[in-house]
Amino acid sequence: MIRYLSSRLFVFIIAFFLLTVFTFSLNFFFPGDPVTNMTGVRTFSDYYPVISEIRGADKNIAFQYINYMQNLLSGNWGASLSSGDYVFEHTYQHLFASLELIVGALVLAVLIGVLSGIFAATQFRGPIDKGVISLAMAGYSIPVFWLAQLLILFFAVKLDWLPITGQINPLYGIAPQSGSILIDIVISDSDYKAAALQDALNHLILPVIILSIMPMMLLLRLMRNATQEMLQKPYVKAARARGLNEFQVLIKHAVPNATQSVLQQVPLIFSLLLSNSIVIESIFNWPGIGNWLVRAIFERDFPVIQACVLIIALTILLFNLVVDLYRGWRFPIVRQE
Amino acid sequence: MQLLDIRNLTVEMKTPHGIVRVLDKVNLQLGKGEIHSLVGESGSGKSLLAKAIVGFTNPNWEVTADRLWWNGQDLLAMNTKQRRAVTGRDMAMIFQDPYSYLDPNSTVEQQIVEAIPEGDVRGTFMRRRVDRKTRVKRLLHRVGIRDHESVIDSYPFELSQGVAQKVSIAIAIAHRPRLLIADEPTTAMEPSTKLQIHRLLARLAASQEMSVLLISQDLTSILPETKQLTLLYCGQLMETGPAEEVINHPAHPYTDSMLRMSLQTQQELPHKARLPTLPGAIPTLRHMPIGCRLGPRCPYAQKQCVKAPLATQKQQRVFHCHFPLLELES
Repeated sequence: MIRYLSSRLFVFIIAFFLLTVFTFSLNFFFPGDPVTNMTGVRTFSDYYPVISEIRGADKNIAFQYINYMQNLLSGNWGASLSSGDYVFEHTYQHLFASLELIVGALVLAVLIGVLSGIFAATQFRGPIDKGVISLAMAGYSIPVFWLAQLLILFFAVKLDWLPITGQINPLYGIAPQSGSILIDIVISDSDYKAAALQDALNHLILPVIILSIMPMMLLLRLMRNATQEMLQKPYVKAARARGLNEFQVLIKHAVPNATQSVLQQVPLIFSLLLSNSIVIESIFNWPGIGNWLVRAIFERDFPVIQACVLIIALTILLFNLVVDLYRGWRFPIVRQE
Repeated sequence: MQLLDIRNLTVEMKTPHGIVRVLDKVNLQLGKGEIHSLVGESGSGKSLLAKAIVGFTNPNWEVTADRLWWNGQDLLAMNTKQRRAVTGRDMAMIFQDPYSYLDPNSTVEQQIVEAIPEGDVRGTFMRRRVDRKTRVKRLLHRVGIRDHESVIDSYPFELSQGVAQKVSIAIAIAHRPRLLIADEPTTAMEPSTKLQIHRLLARLAASQEMSVLLISQDLTSILPETKQLTLLYCGQLMETGPAEEVINHPAHPYTDSMLRMSLQTQQELPHKARLPTLPGAIPTLRHMPIGCRLGPRCPYAQKQCVKAPLATQKQQRVFHCHFPLLELES
């Protein structure tokens, strides 16, 4: 396990290093002055000579990179070019807002996708299996932005069951603190906590469902194929012959082994989820990292673009690491590979 | 009464090229605590016979028999559920490749515990856990794994082939079956490991009153304790009888050739001598000869061999051949 752990950590550190090299070099590739791109301090500002001195603009590139890393790790991510706010504080607020959507979508996708995938595998080649798989194909092929518009039109505009955009009705006056609206409501001193919570959940339903559909369908197909494959394995047949019933065979042997192979694909699904969340956040005007990134790109707000790229990539890397470590811990055969 | 009594068991497979009869009227009797060896080359249907006994069949197989009795019960008359209950209680099977028959993601302990019948452990939750653990250790000791501490928490891929096979035997005997079917359990194993497994099987048969149906490819890897010997070729029964008599006085040309083959591995042949094998090769499923399927390869074959020979019984021995190598005057 130690060997496996250290090899995974090593890969993570290398990837993180390459990522920071990339974001660091972005400062030079973006138009304009590199120090401005890094810190958000404009060349005509009074602070510029001081900042330029600190950042070592006249020193060599290695020194600048180390300086950049020191600032990065101490949370000094510069200021937004358009609003002048400190980027770091806003980054984690936006990240939490995004994670609210992403975690919700992931949980929903895993719950429904995995369970119906297992169910479809038990009905292999039967009418139910075929129906579920065709549905998964259809669900997977529908573009997210189009589906989002469609569902908004139907549930929000026509039926008027759910709100169209946003995190919460601004009339509740919940001050943004952590970024995650649910946490904000709980820690706020509002008199209408229950109602606000209800409203926030209503706002969550549509984006979470739309965001979860693609990973859900992917997981469904992967899980169905893997479980089906495991059900053909000799040890499953042997377990059946030993007198275990179909449910025990499924829970004890087929599903754990199928999970082992599907888990390998989960980080890919997660990165797909993250990129879809950028689209969904823009459509629902959700104050998440994706929405922020798109706005920053329009505004040429280079420090913010950098921060968004960094944090999205870092989230994916961390998720990858966690999944890898879980696989290694739960399924020791993985460590042999 | 015989424990297992099979008369005229026929298995037909539906293939894209029509129906193929992969087992043709095979008889097999097995007594209590007896070791019975089933020998045949690849494609002889020996594994198929074992699978037909435990009901490990595919939907495109048609299994018919005049009699498929287990302990006086007709297995073919039962529905799947009843049959699984009977075979799950009384029979167990081990296989050639222990790794693929062990779940790669469960520990040895979990897999053995799973095979221990619920009725065996009683008491409170904690009591049962402790009880199960001691049972697992006892089973591991019984199959000759003394160092249970290192094995009990291992995953199958961490074990050597011999130990993995012992673990699968431990799983098989956990519910004290009355019949253990060992399907080529020692093929592709080192000689010393092979010997260990063979001794273990013989000891289990003797001490637990467990019958063993040992399936092997040649006569060199059958147990010395074998009581009955049956030879199959291409789904047809060639010869069956008490092992000692069959080996010392083979009646069937096929038995004779198998014996020569196994002797040849023990004694040196002269330089450039021909291998004492039968001419030709094992026919494919699509091109089965009519009559006696050994016919085209048999050195004694004549015109009559296009008709399947009837069973000839001589004392306890039965063989299917028109031109047996034994004198039949008695």
